[in-house]
Amino acid sequence: MTAVTAARATGQALERAEAAGLNATLAWSNTALEAEAARVDSMPVPGPLHRLPVAIKDNICTAEQPTTCGSKLLEGYHSPYSATVVDRLRAAGAMVACKTNLDEFGMGSSTEHSAFGRVKHPLAPERVPGGSSGGSAVLVAVGAVPMALGSDTGGSVRQPAAFCGVVGVKPTYGRVSRYGLVAFGSSLDCVSVFGKTVSDAESLLWAVAGHDWRDATSVDRPIPDRAPARTTLEGVTIGVPVEYFPADLDAGIGAGCQAVIARMRELGARVVQVLLPHTRYAVPTYYIVAPAEAASNLARFDGGRYGARRGPHADIAALYQGTRGHGFGAEVRRRILTGTYVLSAGYAEAYYVKAQSVRARIAADFTAVFAGGVDCLFTPTTPTPAFAAGDKIQDPVAMYLADIFVCPASLAGIPALSLPIGRTKGLPIGGQLMAPMFEEASMLGIAKLLERSLDGSAEVVR
Amino acid sequence: MSVSAEAVLRLAQLAELAVADAELPALTAQLDRIVTFVAQLATVPNPSEHAAGPPEPAPVALRPDVVRPAGLARDISAFAPEVVDGFFVVPRLGAMDGS
Amino acid sequence: MSWEMVIGLEVHLQLGTRSKMFCGCPTTFGNPPNTNVCPVCLGLPGTLPVPNESAVRLGTRAALALGCTVHRRSRFARKHYFYPDLPKGYQITQYDRPLATGGAVVIDSPERGAIEIPIDRLHLEEDAGKSLHDRLPGKTLVDLNRAGVPLAEIVSAPVLRSPAEARAYLTALKQLLTWIEVSECSMEKGSLRVDANISLRPLGAARLGTRTEIKNLNSFSNVERALVAESARQQAILDGGGAVTQVSLTFNADTGQVRAMREKEASRDYRYFPDPDLPPLLLDEAWVAACRAELPELPAARRARLISEFGLSPYDAGVVNGERRVADYFEAVVGAGADPKTAANWVSGEAMIGFNATGTFAVSAAQLAQLIGMVRDGVVSHQAARQVYAELGPAAGEPRQVAERLGLLQIRDTVALERWVTEVLGAHPAEVERFRGGETKLLGFFTGQVMKRSQGQADPQRIQPILVAKLRGE
Repeated sequence: MTAVTAARATGQALERAEAAGLNATLAWSNTALEAEAARVDSMPVPGPLHRLPVAIKDNICTAEQPTTCGSKLLEGYHSPYSATVVDRLRAAGAMVACKTNLDEFGMGSSTEHSAFGRVKHPLAPERVPGGSSGGSAVLVAVGAVPMALGSDTGGSVRQPAAFCGVVGVKPTYGRVSRYGLVAFGSSLDCVSVFGKTVSDAESLLWAVAGHDWRDATSVDRPIPDRAPARTTLEGVTIGVPVEYFPADLDAGIGAGCQAVIARMRELGARVVQVLLPHTRYAVPTYYIVAPAEAASNLARFDGGRYGARRGPHADIAALYQGTRGHGFGAEVRRRILTGTYVLSAGYAEAYYVKAQSVRARIAADFTAVFAGGVDCLFTPTTPTPAFAAGDKIQDPVAMYLADIFVCPASLAGIPALSLPIGRTKGLPIGGQLMAPMFEEASMLGIAKLLERSLDGSAEVVR
Repeated sequence: MSVSAEAVLRLAQLAELAVADAELPALTAQLDRIVTFVAQLATVPNPSEHAAGPPEPAPVALRPDVVRPAGLARDISAFAPEVVDGFFVVPRLGAMDGS
Repeated sequence: MSWEMVIGLEVHLQLGTRSKMFCGCPTTFGNPPNTNVCPVCLGLPGTLPVPNESAVRLGTRAALALGCTVHRRSRFARKHYFYPDLPKGYQITQYDRPLATGGAVVIDSPERGAIEIPIDRLHLEEDAGKSLHDRLPGKTLVDLNRAGVPLAEIVSAPVLRSPAEARAYLTALKQLLTWIEVSECSMEKGSLRVDANISLRPLGAARLGTRTEIKNLNSFSNVERALVAESARQQAILDGGGAVTQVSLTFNADTGQVRAMREKEASRDYRYFPDPDLPPLLLDEAWVAACRAELPELPAARRARLISEFGLSPYDAGVVNGERRVADYFEAVVGAGADPKTAANWVSGEAMIGFNATGTFAVSAAQLAQLIGMVRDGVVSHQAARQVYAELGPAAGEPRQVAERLGLLQIRDTVALERWVTEVLGAHPAEVERFRGGETKLLGFFTGQVMKRSQGQADPQRIQPILVAKLRGE
């Protein structure tokens, strides 16, 4: 097989996904795919991702395709440079398959907030695939690509991975360069990966990870070896935080998680209950920190130097207000206003500064648990399976609470992943592992064993 | 109500976002709901003096002073809405006139 | 009522780096618009800032020279406002944790003499681009070549009491900053810019009045003129029983008037917060100590030493010490054997004329020392030495050769001198008689005649003893 053959197969798969009305893809073309194939075939030495098609969330800049961030404001915008992660995956021999649909600028948990229409769940089209990296999750779920890049700011890879039944890995903050990822919440944003299997996700993660001098928050640490295949969990302590199993947890998800916990015990793990007492403050903390940073990061979209100008612009104020007022969608505008509020004079102390202090406490909860001998934490990824489109669109706070189990790891900067652990009423369930800073390799090793020991596509019996 | 319509308009002006009159009531209600939700952090006690803070983040790495511009694959005229003689062009400043 | 002025200055100094503050673009001045730009300083989506080591080092150097405490930990913050030449919608600056605080500059106040002006803080930040409002009707043109150029902002305490004192402060500050080679300090090129805050209060009152800020002053004399104009404007308001409103002003150098800038009411809420793209800036003590060790002797210390070590007058020391390269040159001339006071005269005279015109010294310190020695030894006259100096340059050769080529060497050969003296006395018997009759002032006449006969080459110092001996001896 040549890369050209692989490219054709990918093109057909993307066409099928389009034909099914999933709306997961943004820019792509068979011509571009063939050019990628020719490039890969001409590489003198095959890289670790040789000939693998990779889908890329459309908030990651590519010089070859448009980069829209799912926003009208950037419709038609061609970035004059590519993100570090794109350069790296191409250097590793991968082919850029397509750009994928997303909640505008990564803000959302359902991929309903895209200027280019909502993405549909692959198993239940009236439901959402999760978000904000919904397009990437869906393309991996339907097998159009074996792996995809997303971005996880407060769960935007793990939550759609759980909804779609694929693997989603958020590395330690700083492990992967953010250069070229259009910023949403800079202190939280992590370029993250989807894979059909843990091993696929791992391959992509380590191909794009590593220090990048262009990102002052990227960490200069060696990339670990791929996780060895474990056969037991002997000597491994798994912490199960009680706060992640509330009374109103979806029953199917609760049962699925209990089954995993039982399986981990059988595999030799010591499973202990732990406390992460500040968990309940994670969502409000996140919805101060992330909008504050978002309001700042999105200030550059003023219609002056790039992007589509909107509305009348008799003077500069009209240009700014029209471009931003009409170019940004409803959710982005809410977050900008919220972020402006929490940073404005007279409120910053009570909101932004306070949130930073609570964020430190959330991180300290994790540090204490890991210092107490826990190797990895296990929780459900989401409180419910994929919800119906339109369910939460009118109530932003209800939408925010969909991220209740995923945003704590984002606030703490620790690595976390979601893997399929079964289904309830036909919808996938995700189980989440969270590990100490830079312990991705041990987390991935545990995930691989669980993946082999569980049937992620099996209906969980209550 | 912790967020008034006037407050929303002031925020919109700070953030340079046009808000239509028709959408103001709904937007105000949503922002009020969001602000009320995040305001629950006020109930978290402030850490005592002795409480261990988060670990010191790694210091920023400095870049050697070398002229090495990041590449622009396309000229600014390829992405800018309006360019004249190499300048970006925007409407006159109007109310923001500082000259 | 008598009013007292309270003036504080914010100086924006372009740090002399090769590349910009947060990206690798060059900092050169005067290039075509938007040619020194990259995705980072254009603020394109997805780009990130990485601080320039030289900018941090030069900022630290300036802070140390100002006697500031350089903080082991500082951090960058975002200051938000919308303006066409601010690409990201925020400026990266330092806010609650500046690089340095608490220094001082000694200035020569016209009213109060030598006084110390405290420096509140020095922080690092990036420059904005340039907006042109008058090139196209109804449009603003934006050039981002300057966007992201590194600046240090130096904020004085509000303790200056007059426009002249403000100017003296700027003069002292510029001397120091040029001296330590952190910036070109050129107001013409915009590498030194000044914002001035001013308020008035009743003489003797402790409470500060409402202040106004005059933005972007582009010369020291305009700082002085603008402050004179604004203090007069405020005084007229206060004398009339009115209240000054806090406002930003611009100064029109043509009319000599200040004018309020039109601002949106909300635009003062800058919503500062720590830049999440930039971890804290940590400077270890050894690094700061190395910066301190690299500092040259500072102007105040050097001026004192020029007085004590070389016996210069305070005035001469001030002139010679005006710029570090001039003082270096002076010391090199003295080091090569010249008498310090004579050297100071030469350096502040002939040498300075050339230095001010070209920025360099055409004559090496060793050559000038030789020339000074030749005057001392009577080899050339002082007048002749000035001619020699004018001819000297890198290619002109040694001073003695130049003097010889120009025929300026003084003749000190006794036989030759005696012959000229004899000839002169022989030619003027009447004058000889008058001299011998007591008209001794004719000595000058005879000396002149000998000089004339020698075509200016005789050493006048040596002619006189011979003349006197011959006139008396006959």
